[in-house]
Amino acid sequence: MADATSTGAGLSDADFARFTEYFYKRTGIHFTAGKRYFVDKRVEACIRNSSHSTFASWFAALRTRDRSELLQELINQLTVNETYFLREDYQFDALLSTVLPQVLSARGGVRRITGALKILSLPCSTGEEPYSIALRLLEEWDQIDHVDVEIHGADIDSAVLAKAAHASYGERSLQRVPKAWLNKYFVPVGSGRHQVDDGIRSAVTLHRVNVCDTASMRAFRDYDVIFCRNVLIYFDELSSRRAAENLYGALRPGGYLFLGHSESMSRISPIFTPTRLPEGIVYQRPTGAN
Amino acid sequence: MGLVRKQIPQSPEEPAPPSATPDELIRRLDDPDPERRREAALDLDGMPEAVPELLARLGPEQEPRVRDAVLTTLAAHDTEAVAAGLAVHLASDEAGLRTAVAEALATMPRSTPALIPDLLAAPDHDVRVMTAMVLADLPHPDAQSWLARMIDEDPHANVVTAAIDALLPAATAEHVPVLQAAARRFPDDPFLQFTVRSALPRLAGTA
Repeated sequence: MADATSTGAGLSDADFARFTEYFYKRTGIHFTAGKRYFVDKRVEACIRNSSHSTFASWFAALRTRDRSELLQELINQLTVNETYFLREDYQFDALLSTVLPQVLSARGGVRRITGALKILSLPCSTGEEPYSIALRLLEEWDQIDHVDVEIHGADIDSAVLAKAAHASYGERSLQRVPKAWLNKYFVPVGSGRHQVDDGIRSAVTLHRVNVCDTASMRAFRDYDVIFCRNVLIYFDELSSRRAAENLYGALRPGGYLFLGHSESMSRISPIFTPTRLPEGIVYQRPTGAN
Repeated sequence: MGLVRKQIPQSPEEPAPPSATPDELIRRLDDPDPERRREAALDLDGMPEAVPELLARLGPEQEPRVRDAVLTTLAAHDTEAVAAGLAVHLASDEAGLRTAVAEALATMPRSTPALIPDLLAAPDHDVRVMTAMVLADLPHPDAQSWLARMIDEDPHANVVTAAIDALLPAATAEHVPVLQAAARRFPDDPFLQFTVRSALPRLAGTA
């Protein structure tokens, strides 16, 4: 029987505090007491789906024996996997206001730059992120008519890449897209869905790749900016390290890496330099000697 | 100007061809260009014949990004030979190296545990401090009991404090007596006293 401060999962207030501290340390995601009900329900589900009958044994296993499997399910339960246009767009604000001007300056400015600016969205899932970047650049970056920009999307899953290539989205995906942009860059295709127009679709290059596969990632080089949001938290320590190494190799020296708001590179690898921008932390490949 | 499409020469579904033979990659570990060394270290992934060469470069390598690539490739092997080869660097005078090695050992749950008894008995207390760091993140069912043993038995206050720090995220009310005993063993160590005093209220009521 649970006591006055417990839930069906048997979480006392102290257990809740210990659990949220562990989860924060592991993922960077912090749950306040205001999220208690949300956390309790999902922890209960994880315990129910495991071979454990109590919070104590499940939590011990989470940290030791069955860690990767249990942690993966926990993260799935406690994170929202849905993606949509202009998600976490404060990072796109940072891209336009700070990162791209710095990249442009480092590459000699508008007049002296050689080659295109290169932006990679990885994983791009069904395409909302790379197309969001395209929309923001076309609508809001004052240098877009003076510089070539390549946008690439990559994912391990060929099924989501096929959807990204088709680029047809329903209301939930498009809820944050301004109506004027919807009219300008999308074509209605029935059933309330809209398809990204040919011009943008043809400008975004899609690739299938596993970010942990060094051989495949070798094809990705000299990117100025990479968005790799909300994926590293799903990896175990070794895979995270490998992914970080591969992202480093894909960036141009001085290039920028955006992670999800709840992710931190500092607990994965020290090879990037964290840079604080008004909109948040971004990670930079040091310019170094090469 | 504007958005442009880049046609990459190869199919994205096909991995790029291997950059070099294993022998060439091993030679590149000594390339003057650190980026070439870093890429060579990563490309040696899954090649057991390269393990001795990678271990040999670990100490002399001065570029942290290359060192991290070497450790990433070595840790993936998770063998006793790799773990033993890494553990010697826990005694390094270079803080960056010993910390990087501790992080790598913590990602090797198959082979690191066999080293723990010897590391717990290491005469150098700094090695034992680093061992607590390893145990903090090592996914192994005995990690907590090893840390509790360090807290209970290690004669050096810094080691005990490091072990308490490592244990705390997983500690429960059952560890309260262990922490209290440590505080009694080192009454004149202010940092250890503070660590225990801060931890005890949080452990009350945990399962």
